[in-house]
Amino acid sequence: MPRYLVERTFPDGLGLPANAEGAQACLGVVGKNLKEGVTWVHSYCTPDRKKTFCVYDGPSPESIRVAAQANGLPVDRISEVRVLDPYFLH
Amino acid sequence: MTLLERDEALAQLQVLMARACGGTGALVVVEGEAGIGKSALLRALADAQPAATPVWWGLCDALQTPRPLGPWLDVAEQAGDPLRALLVTDAPRPRVFAACVDQLGAQSALVIIEDLHWADEATLDLLRHLGRRIARTRSLLVASCRDDELGPTHPVRVLLGDLATAGVQRLALRPLSIDAVRQLVADRPLDALALHQATGGNPFFVTEVLAAGGSRIPASVRDAVLSRSARLSASARAVLEMAAVAGPRVEAGLLDELAAAEAAAVDDCLRSGILTAEAQTFVFRHELARQAVLESLAPTRLRVLHRLTLQALQADGAPPPSLARLVHHAAQAGDSEAVRLHAPAAAQQAARQGAHREAAAHYATLLAFSSALDAAQRAQFTEAHAYECYLVGDIASAVAGREAALGLWRRLGRRDREGDTLRWLSRLHWFLGHGELARRHAQAAIDTLEPLPASSELAMACSNAAQLAMLADNAAAAVSWGERAIALAEALGATEILAHALNNVGTARIRDSDEAGWRLLERSLQIALAHDLEEHAGRAYANLTSCGVELRDYAAAWRYCNDGIAYCLERDLDAWTFYLMAWRARAHYEQGRWSAAAAEAAGLVQRAGLPNVSRIPALVTLGAVRVRRGDPGAHELLDEARTLALDTGELQRIGPMVVARAEAAWLAGDLEACTTEAQMGADLAERCRMPWAIGEGTFWLWRAGRSVTPGDGMARPYVLQMRGDWRAAAEAWCALGCPYEQARALTDGDEGALREALAIFESLGAAPMIERVRRSLRVAGVRGLPRGPRATTQEHPAGLTLKEVQVLALLAQGLRSREIGERLSRSTRTVDHHLASIFVKLGVATRAEAVSAAHRLGLVQATG
Repeated sequence: MPRYLVERTFPDGLGLPANAEGAQACLGVVGKNLKEGVTWVHSYCTPDRKKTFCVYDGPSPESIRVAAQANGLPVDRISEVRVLDPYFLH
Repeated sequence: MTLLERDEALAQLQVLMARACGGTGALVVVEGEAGIGKSALLRALADAQPAATPVWWGLCDALQTPRPLGPWLDVAEQAGDPLRALLVTDAPRPRVFAACVDQLGAQSALVIIEDLHWADEATLDLLRHLGRRIARTRSLLVASCRDDELGPTHPVRVLLGDLATAGVQRLALRPLSIDAVRQLVADRPLDALALHQATGGNPFFVTEVLAAGGSRIPASVRDAVLSRSARLSASARAVLEMAAVAGPRVEAGLLDELAAAEAAAVDDCLRSGILTAEAQTFVFRHELARQAVLESLAPTRLRVLHRLTLQALQADGAPPPSLARLVHHAAQAGDSEAVRLHAPAAAQQAARQGAHREAAAHYATLLAFSSALDAAQRAQFTEAHAYECYLVGDIASAVAGREAALGLWRRLGRRDREGDTLRWLSRLHWFLGHGELARRHAQAAIDTLEPLPASSELAMACSNAAQLAMLADNAAAAVSWGERAIALAEALGATEILAHALNNVGTARIRDSDEAGWRLLERSLQIALAHDLEEHAGRAYANLTSCGVELRDYAAAWRYCNDGIAYCLERDLDAWTFYLMAWRARAHYEQGRWSAAAAEAAGLVQRAGLPNVSRIPALVTLGAVRVRRGDPGAHELLDEARTLALDTGELQRIGPMVVARAEAAWLAGDLEACTTEAQMGADLAERCRMPWAIGEGTFWLWRAGRSVTPGDGMARPYVLQMRGDWRAAAEAWCALGCPYEQARALTDGDEGALREALAIFESLGAAPMIERVRRSLRVAGVRGLPRGPRATTQEHPAGLTLKEVQVLALLAQGLRSREIGERLSRSTRTVDHHLASIFVKLGVATRAEAVSAAHRLGLVQATG
C-alpha cells in the first residue's frame, strides 16, 4: 500500500487539546479512516499549529480525500513518499 | 452422522435465514475444497428449518457440458407453478428471471444451489440477477462452491466480483481440527495425528478411511474410496461402475435397466454406504467417490458403459432425459450418429436460455464429429459455433470459425452466405482492434452482396460499413452507407437493422455538428425500446449520452445517461451499464464534481475484465482528476490510457487522453510535451471536424506558446479566450456549467478576475492552479491573501455550496420551497434558484431524486 504525505492548513490553528478529549478526537479520526482502508501513521505540526504534515498509508489519493472529508479535515496537497534514511544509504 | 466443528457456520446461516424470514433476504456462497463438508452443512441447515418453510435444492451438473439453467429446473420442479411452467416451456429469460425474484419474495424459502463451480452460464446470469435483488425478497439463497477449482478468470469468480457490492456473503469452511479427527477415530486402531496429517483434515477423506476399515491410511481420497469398494462383490462393483458413468444422479428405473438381474448387487452398494437412495434416484455419497470410480475404469470399458447408458436413456418408455445428458453420453461413447442427432438441439436450447458458453461447447462437440455432416451442415454449424463464441467474448475462436465457414460457403457457391460471413469478419476484426482489416472485409461484404437481389444481409453489410465509418469519425461515409442501409431495412421491414443503421447515421451526424442527428438517434432508441431489442437500446442510450458529453450538452447527457443506466441495470446489460458509468464519470469531472467523478472512475478501473472502450475513459477521468488536484498517481493511469487509446485509432478515446496529458505537462512546466500531445489531438480532431476537440487541442498549443489561428470550426469559448476576450469566455464556460474552465479563462484577466478564479479553484480543490494564481497575484503586488482554504469551503461531494447543502437538508425533511424559504429567511424564488442549481449539480430531475442522491452522497447525514 502506498504511503502519502498529506499537507493541511488550519488558518485558526489546530485545536486539539492534549488530554482525554483530544485522544477521543484522534480515535474518532482513526475510526472514520477505517471505512476507507486508510491508516493515519503520525503527523508533524508547525509550532503555530497552523500547518500539519500527516503521514498516511492508503490505497489511493482519493481514499485519503474521502477520509479527510468524513473527518472534516482540509487537504492542501497529497504527495506519495518513500522512506529515505541518510544513515543507511547503499 | 454428526456434524463436527460446524456450529458457528450453521449459526451464521440460521441468523441469515431468520433475517430473510423478517423480510431481508440474502445470498451466501459456502466455499471450500471438495469433501470439506459443504453438502453436509447444507443438509443440516435444511433439516433445522421448520416444516412450514420450503427448502428447494438445485444441483449443477458434472456433465461435460451442463444443462442450461439445470439447478433452477430442479428448484422449479419443487417450487411448482408459475416458475415450473415458465421453465419447462422455455419462456423468455426476462420472464423467468422476474418469476424467480417473485417466487423468492412471495414466501420465505431456503434455496440451495450445489456445486456452483460447474454451473452453466444461464444459471450464473440468473444468480447475478437474483443476487442484486435478493435483499428485497424474503428468502435465503445458499450456493456451494469449490473455491480451489476457480481460476482467476473462472465465471464464478467474475460473478462473485460483480456481486461484491450487492452484499453477497461468503462463508469459507475450514478443515477439521486434530481434536475432531481424534473424536471420529475413537477407539479404532488408527493414529489420529497421522490420519489428520494425511487427510489434511478433509472430513470426507477422514470418514472414507474410517469406513474402509483396517489400520492402513491410503495415500489419496481415490485410494480410500477404491479400497472401500474393493470389499464389494464383483457384481456390486459392476453396478457401482454403471452408476458412476450414468450419474451423478441415476434414476431408479435407469439403474434397474442397466443392472438388469443384479438387484441384489444394488442393495449391496446401498448397504456399504457408497451409494445412497434419495426419492427414486441413486447418488454417490460424494462426487469424489464417483470420480474415483470413474477414473479407475479402462477407456474401452468406459465407452461401453456410456453406450449402454445412452441406449437405456433412449429406450421406449424411459422418461425423456435432458438433451445435455444425451450429448454427454453420445460423445463419451464415440457415437457420432447420436451426437449429430442431439447436439444441435442441445446447442439451440442452451442458446435460447442464454447459456452461450454451453451452446458453444455443444457445437464444438458436434464439429468434432463432423465426418457425419455434409458440407452445408458443416458450414452452418461452424457459423453457429462462431456466433456463440462471439457472444461469450472468445473473439479469436469466432474469427477462426468464420474463416472456416467462409471457405466452406465459397466451395458451395453460396454468395449470400459468403457476403454475410465477410461482414461478420469485419465486425470481429474491429473488436480485435484491426481497423484496416475490418474496413477491407466490410467493403468485400458489400461487393459480394451487391450483385445479388436486395437482402437483409446487404442492408446489414451497409450498416456495418456505416458503423465503422462513424467510429473512425468519417461522417460523410457513415451517412451515405447508413442511409442506404436505412432505405433497404425499411423496404424489407428489417426492424433490427433499421435500429442499428439509424443509430450509426444519427451518431455520425450529431458528431458532425448536425442537429438533425438527435432525431435519428432518438428514433433508433424508440424502435429498440418498442421491440425489446435490448442491445440496440443499450447502444442508443450509450451514444446519446456520449454525444451529449462530447458536445457539452450536459442536460441531454444526464437525462439519457440516468435512463440508460436504469434500463441496463434492470436487464443486467453490464457492458452497457459500465460504458454509461464511464461517461457519467466524465460528465461529473467536466462539471467540477471531482469526488463523484473519481469515485465512479476508480470503481471502474478496479473492475477486472472491463472492456477497453469503458476502461479508457475511466482511466482518463481518474487521471485527469488527479492532475487537476495535484494528486500523485496520475501518470500511471494516463500512460495506460495512452497505450489502450492509440490502439483504437478513434478520436472518442484518444482526444480526452491527449488533452489530459497536455494539461498535466503544462502544469508541470513541460511545454515541449504539452505541444506534442496537443498537436496530436488537434490533428486528429481536424481530420474528424469535431469543434470541441479542435478547440481543446488548439487551446493547449496556444498555452504552450505556439502561434495558432483561432477561428471557424472551433468551439466558441476556446476561440473567445484565445482572442483575448477572457470575460466572454468565462461567461460561456459558466453557462455550460464547467467551473474549472471558467476559472481558467478568468486567470487571463485583471486582479478582480484573478481573485474570482482563485475562489473557484479553491472550491474545487485545484491545488496546482491555486498556487499559480496566488503567485500571479503576489507578483502583481497583492497582499493579505488568506494562506489556504478554510475547512468549511472545502468541496462538498457534489460541489454544492453551503447554502445549497442547507436547502437540500431541509428538502430531505420533506419541506416545500416556501417552508424552506421561511426557515432560511429567503424568498421562495431564491430557494427555487438554489434547487435548480442543486438539480444540475446532482444530475437529477425531480425533488425525490435529489433527496435520494443526497442520502447516497451522505450529504444529509453530514449536516444533520
